[in-house]
This record gives sequence, structure tokens and C-alpha cells, in this order.
Amino acid sequence: MSAVVAKSKPARDETALASRGLDGLNLFVANIQTGFGPFISVYLTTQGWTQTAIGTALSLGTIAAMASQIPAGALVDAIRNKTAVAFASILAFSASALLLAIRPTALWVYAAEVLHGFSSCTLGPAIAAMSLILVGPAMLGRRVGRNARFSSIGNGIGAALMGACGYYVSERAVFFLTAVVTLPAIASLLPLARLSEATPPSSSGRHPAQTRAPISSLLRNRALVIFALCAMLFTLGNSAMLPLAGNTLTKEAGNFASLLIAGCIIVPQLVVAAISPTIGELAEQRGRRLVLVIGFCTLPIRGVLFATLDSPAALVLIQALDGIAGACVGILVPLVASDIAGRSGRYNLSMGFIGLAIGVGATVSTTLAGWIADRFGTPAAYGSLALVGLLALLLAIGAMPETRPSPTA
Amino acid sequence: MAPQNVEPLPSNEGAPVLGKKVKGPNGEALGLVVDVLVDPNGQPRAAVIDFGGFLGVGSRKIAIDWKALDFTSLGRAGTIELGLSRAQIAAAPEYKPGPPGAVVVTAPPAPAPPVDTHK
Repeated sequence: MSAVVAKSKPARDETALASRGLDGLNLFVANIQTGFGPFISVYLTTQGWTQTAIGTALSLGTIAAMASQIPAGALVDAIRNKTAVAFASILAFSASALLLAIRPTALWVYAAEVLHGFSSCTLGPAIAAMSLILVGPAMLGRRVGRNARFSSIGNGIGAALMGACGYYVSERAVFFLTAVVTLPAIASLLPLARLSEATPPSSSGRHPAQTRAPISSLLRNRALVIFALCAMLFTLGNSAMLPLAGNTLTKEAGNFASLLIAGCIIVPQLVVAAISPTIGELAEQRGRRLVLVIGFCTLPIRGVLFATLDSPAALVLIQALDGIAGACVGILVPLVASDIAGRSGRYNLSMGFIGLAIGVGATVSTTLAGWIADRFGTPAAYGSLALVGLLALLLAIGAMPETRPSPTA
Repeated sequence: MAPQNVEPLPSNEGAPVLGKKVKGPNGEALGLVVDVLVDPNGQPRAAVIDFGGFLGVGSRKIAIDWKALDFTSLGRAGTIELGLSRAQIAAAPEYKPGPPGAVVVTAPPAPAPPVDTHK
């Protein structure tokens, strides 16, 4: 008896440590991803790249990321040690950041973009899988809520840090800094390394390789297909809203435009950081459908408000709705995937499938909204996006089943 | 093979412009040169400048009259000066390539009062 007590205490400490490791991982990975985001275009411009060439490189990255979603998901499913997957993905981030910093010539930039696109697709599911291993399906809602909180804090810090680095040092330095930030991200994996190796045999004797469901059964899973469709429609309506608001602000707000755009980016992050744990709790207590409907509700409202109000301060405040939606969707993706495929050995493939749907929605969104804004004006673009959001909401209400496992299970 | 005709072009007489920083009247960074519009004689008429927003959101490309730009410090410091403030540029329409053509922002008709540019 005493031996059990003596063993359980360090185990609990180890879990606490692993939990903190996961916090740090989410934070630093969000930091790194900020570095890869908007700075590449500016950096390549300063290196004398034409806009066409930059467009090609960025499109290549987008295509690589979309094409990798499903294969990367399958790969992560096949590898038992998810911490090793995360480690390799972060190393790939270091490599592509250094490639961009040291060799901003076509071939190396393309290589960096493809490498980053692929490893983003392995890292996201790996983090979700580690969360699932750490807390189990019953507590996953709270855990992904916490993940979302630390990611948005990381996004905020990353934006400030990388932005200051680009402004005061150089655009190139942003990528050296990004490479440096991969070090604390790797350090965050240390307490997770022991845990994910130790836990699977004790929590269940299953061998994923033996119980893995056929891929075709995923596509026949109604809940997964409808959720992916919902996520795609939502992203289609959502992605272009911020760029449209940004364009309005640069025209209307003159000298304060940059400050207000910064507000539009930071306000939702603050909201996500504040409410994510509550939303995760809500998904556990009251079900996924409710959270999905709350999140999706905000999009048509936001579109209508954007279309009708154009005072710069109002735009920044409306962005709070984006935070609510972001928290809800961000939490539901790993959670619903776990509900549907957590036991099938296809968890990460399901995440990849949803990720691909979101990627398609995001890519079409900006192009579509830009086209509508050019021909019919910005309010029409907001209206169309709101309509797509309404469609997502109706689909969620009408067709999305509750996936929360019953408490007795 | 035809003989190669070469002649030296010192950096202060021919400097690259793509990707160079454009600074405003008070030395504030405004944006980057991303393209140059030339007339049929190959003479530059306007520079397309990307006025970056914040983290890539709200960035706009605007065509600026070539004559409104000052290239004197390009070879030395790698920057181009523009005598227009952010507010003067903000109202300009966004640059779109292709026909019918660009709307170009020109310098104000009255030359700005001479400022002491002692360096």
C-alpha cells in the first residue's frame, strides 16, 4: 500500500510538470508561427523579390500545407511517440527559419516554405494527441481550452516581439529570432518526453496499429464530414473579415491606422486568452453543439456590424466577437476529432481532414471577398461573408450531432 | 561571338530600387518600393509603394509620382525620401495593375518650404 502512495506522488508531480510543458509548448509554437506569418512577404520584398515571386513562394507554402494535412495526420497516427513527432516538427521549423534568414534565394525559400507547411501539419495534431494522452478524453475540453489560452498569449507576445525586431533591428533578424524561439519550444517538450512514453500502456493496453480503423470509414462518418463542412464554411466567412476591416482602417483612420489595426489583431487574442478555459469547460458540461452554435452565431453578427458601422473604434470593438468565435472553433476542432476518432487510431488523420477543410475555406475566403469588394463595394463583401457565416450556423444547428461522449461511457 | 560591350556604372549613378525603404518627411518608414511604372521610352513615371499595415493586415499598394520621390540618399543609405505624410497618402486609391491604368499620387503643387536638412 505504502509503495502505491509513494509511487503516485511523483507521478502527480510529473503530470503537473508535463502540463506546464504543454503550456509552454503552445506558447512558444504560437510565437514561432507569428514569425513565419506576415513577415516573410515584407522580408522578401526588402531582398529585392518581385511581388509575383513572393506570391509564388507563399502559394507554394499554402499548397504544401494543404496537401500535407491528410498524409501528415496519417503519419502522426502511425508514430506512437507523439513527443518525437513534435520534436522533429519544431526542428523543421528551426531549419526553415534559418534557411529563410541565411539564403533568401528562390530554391531555399521554396524549400523552407514546403518544410514549414508540412511540419505545421504534423505539429498541430501531435500537440492535440499529447494533450489527449496527458489528460484522457474526459478532461480534454479543459486541456484544449488551456492550450488555446497559451497559444493566443503566444500569438500576442510573438506579434509584439517579432514586430519590434523587424522595426528596430531588421526583417532578416525576425527569422533568426524565430529560430532562437524554437529552443524554448524544444525545452518545453522535455517533461512531455517521459510522460507520453510512460502513459499509453498503463491507460489502455490497446496497440493503435492493431485497432486502427480503415480510412474510408472516416469519410463515411457523418459527424466528421458535417463538422469539417461547418468549419470550412465558417472559415470561408471568417478569414477575410479582418483584412477587409484593415483596408477600411487604412483608408479612414490616417495616422492611427496601424495602431487600430494592431487593436483589431490583439483584441481577439485577449478575448481568446480570457475565455478559452471557460469555453472548454462549457463544452464538457453542456456539450459541443452549444459551443459550436455560440461561436458560429458571432460571425453573421460581426459581418452585419462591420457592414453598417464604420467608425474605427467600433471596428476594434467588433473584433471581440472574433475572439469568441476563435476560442469556440479552436477548442472544438481537437475536441470533436477526439470524440469521433479518439479511439479509432485515426485521431490525427481526422484532425488533418478538418485542417484541410479549414485551409480550403481560408484560401477561398480572401480571394472571394477581395473580388466582391472590388466589384460591389466593401459592405457587399461583408454581407456575403456574413451570409456564408449564417449558412455555417444553419448547418451546425440543422445537421451537426452532439458528439460529447455520454458521462456513463 | 559578338564582342561584349561593357562600361562601368558606379553605384551612386545606378542603384537598385526594388524593395528599398521609403521614408516620410520626418524620417518615418512609410513602405517599400515593389514596382516601377515606365512610359514607352522606358522613363520611370511612378513607383508602386507597398504601405504596410500592421502584421500584413491593411497593407496597400499606391502609385506615387516618380517626381515626388527623392533618390539622393539611395546609393548611400538605401532609402528613398517622399515629401508626403501618411495622412496625405491614406486617401489615395489602391494601385491595381492592368488597364485602364494607375491613379498616381503627385507631390503638392506648392513646393514645401525649405527645411534645414543639415546632416
